[in-house]
Amino acid sequence: MAAFLGKTANAGASVAPAAARSEKDPYRLRALPLDDVLFYAKKIDNSRLVRAADPRARGACWNAVGAAAVLLVLLTGTLVPSLAGRLEGYKLEALKGEERRLLDERRTLELQEAELLSPDRLERAAARQNLVAPKANQVVHLDSNQPGSDFALVK
Amino acid sequence: MLERRLKWLAALVLIWAGLIVGKLVSLQVVHHRQYAVLARTRQEQVVRILAPRGTILDRTGAPLAMSVPTQSVLVNPQKVPDLGVAADILSMVLTTNRTDLYARLEAARARGSGYFVVKKKATWEETQRLHGMAFDWIDITGGSERHYPNGSLAAHILGGVDFAEKGNAGIEKSLEADLEGTPGEERVLTDVKGRGIDALVESEPKPGVTLTLTIDERLQFVAERELAAAVEDKGARSGSVVVMNPHTGEILAMASNPSYDPNLPPSANDNPEARLNHATSVPFEPGSVFKVITLAAALETTRLRPESMIDCGRGSITLFGRTIHEAHGGYGVISMAQVLARSSNVGAIRIGMTVGEAKMHEYVRRFGFGERTGVPLPAESRGRLRNLERWSKASLPSISIGQEVSVTALQLAQAASIVANGGLLVRPRLVLRKGGQPAPASAPVRVIRPETAVTMRQMMEGVVLPGGTGYPEARLDGYSVAGKTGSAQIYDVAEKRYTHNYNGSFVGFAPLNNPSIVVVVTLNGTHGNMGFGGRAAAPVFHAVATEALRVLDVPRDLPDAPAPVEVAGNAADKDDLAIADLGSLEPNILEESEEDSAGPAPAATGPKVPDFRGKTMRAVLAEAAQKGLPVVPDGSGVARLQYPPAGSLLREGERIRVRFSR
Repeated sequence: MAAFLGKTANAGASVAPAAARSEKDPYRLRALPLDDVLFYAKKIDNSRLVRAADPRARGACWNAVGAAAVLLVLLTGTLVPSLAGRLEGYKLEALKGEERRLLDERRTLELQEAELLSPDRLERAAARQNLVAPKANQVVHLDSNQPGSDFALVK
Repeated sequence: MLERRLKWLAALVLIWAGLIVGKLVSLQVVHHRQYAVLARTRQEQVVRILAPRGTILDRTGAPLAMSVPTQSVLVNPQKVPDLGVAADILSMVLTTNRTDLYARLEAARARGSGYFVVKKKATWEETQRLHGMAFDWIDITGGSERHYPNGSLAAHILGGVDFAEKGNAGIEKSLEADLEGTPGEERVLTDVKGRGIDALVESEPKPGVTLTLTIDERLQFVAERELAAAVEDKGARSGSVVVMNPHTGEILAMASNPSYDPNLPPSANDNPEARLNHATSVPFEPGSVFKVITLAAALETTRLRPESMIDCGRGSITLFGRTIHEAHGGYGVISMAQVLARSSNVGAIRIGMTVGEAKMHEYVRRFGFGERTGVPLPAESRGRLRNLERWSKASLPSISIGQEVSVTALQLAQAASIVANGGLLVRPRLVLRKGGQPAPASAPVRVIRPETAVTMRQMMEGVVLPGGTGYPEARLDGYSVAGKTGSAQIYDVAEKRYTHNYNGSFVGFAPLNNPSIVVVVTLNGTHGNMGFGGRAAAPVFHAVATEALRVLDVPRDLPDAPAPVEVAGNAADKDDLAIADLGSLEPNILEESEEDSAGPAPAATGPKVPDFRGKTMRAVLAEAAQKGLPVVPDGSGVARLQYPPAGSLLREGERIRVRFSR
């Protein structure tokens, strides 16, 4: 404010020489509204004033802080489970979707496995390697108690 | 002044609060239902939980039919704001041709369609990307697709499904109620971006029941492979093979040719016959294989025994003014066992006449002919067996040799199982387990006495021994076999005469004393000498039975195959199965009798067969060992029956079967 008032005072002091000119200076700025009004700035010194201690206001302040803290805790206690539930819900739904996707994928893989193990395909693959089915008296049954015999027993 | 202003402020606050309360009442009480529905539609999504159709497994657990979940991307062309942008997005995400997609979208919009399938079987990643874009004109629907991983294998048993995955043939149709799954529903609470927050399952999905069939995938494959080869080789129109466990009725394989791939949708160019299950739906005249029934009825109801001599009239018999010929040459007086082994028409007719109409009809019925077997397949034929009241005078001799009656291959397998299992009618089964629980089986019914069944088995063994019509094609290395050939001429209804085309068939089981499998092979529409049962169907029996016995780990009951027996006679005799009076236009089956070829008679130069009857097993074995004779004892107690009969000469490679009983 002081700077503004000072600036205004300086502007007022320069009015007289400008008015003495008869011709209008084309480069001169147009006067602002209230350009010629002067304000007096009164200096007030409040440095000697000392605020008196008010124990009731302090208590009220602490009460307000406490109340706000309690309210905050209550709100947090109310909202956090809901928010956590929502976040867990997101995770749960995502996991369900993942489970469905994996189940679908498993069925697709089972189908592929069945196609690969189809007798027709196996026979064609065996024929390419010059393999033939054994005759009845050519089958050798291994002792199933022997380790590693499980594969051999698969017909 | 201040107090007045405060009052105004308080009044304004009250009015404001009142308005809020009023609005709350309006929202929460007055219009609660309306806004709740509105909120639900925006915040909740009803998601369909798919229930996959039941899987069909073979008896070893290998999948024969299964459903795989798929997702399809749909677009409503009428809602698409800019087709070009839509084509850009969809072609980029779904990796399809942009130009083609744009043209199809434009065409769909032009014809006013609100439903356009952009891609079936979209991947999970593709659908997730589109889902994240949240365009209201894109819809992603889940479904499932039926797959048959083995292609055409067991196609006639499995059947197929239509576009809505409803069964339209085979097991898929007849057991639709079990296989069909019921989809469930869940409500998913979503946020503004459509992401799921919480879900509530409103109805649980009910997946279809997993069915385990009695079919063995490997046997089925071998049966189909051998049948297809035989059909092609013999120029047959169609054919079928049934492999069955005679004790439990479990059908181990059921092949039908021509076949089809149930994975492919039907088209107008398909052969309609390919979709017929010839084993259950197409009856045919069985011909000589039916003589098994005739002789079994004779053993049950008359005093005839395998060694009873039958006058075969040197090749012809005249009945009701008509002459019935033996197909090849003619036999004089031969034993009943030889009637079966050589498939003598005249002998079988004489035996049938001894049985009589009423008893014959009764036994044909008791063997399960003329009624469905009850196997869970649609369109099963009951065959044709006329009521006794409608029989003509010629019916008895005709039916005695398998004419004037039509049967299915499955009925033949059921009838052969009666002989194989000791005289019990066991209904064929196709479903082993439903959802892990054993499928119920019907109780067996006694049809013939155990002794009759044993005797029939022994007589049927003669068919595959030297001199029989099934020798040597039906013999198996390491196993004793019983069987019967059949070669019935096909009657041309249009021309009203029998043609040169045949239904060649073979019914057999092995091992003889405790049969593990019954195999029935039929080839319809074979031609010429190579199309008869012994030549066309018996080799298929050989291949299928060999594989079945190997797969089922059936212990061998014979030593390794001996060297082929050199027999007297020329090869042409074996093939000579010409039907008498073939050129006749008369549709009289008696005159146009069919006959299977008797194999060339081996040289009967062996030792004389002693009479074992009335002796104990110890005595029989001691005597046989002393004379160096091969004996196959059966049963316990005292020898009651023997084959070959006492006094006859033992042929090379032949064994003496002795039946003991108390």
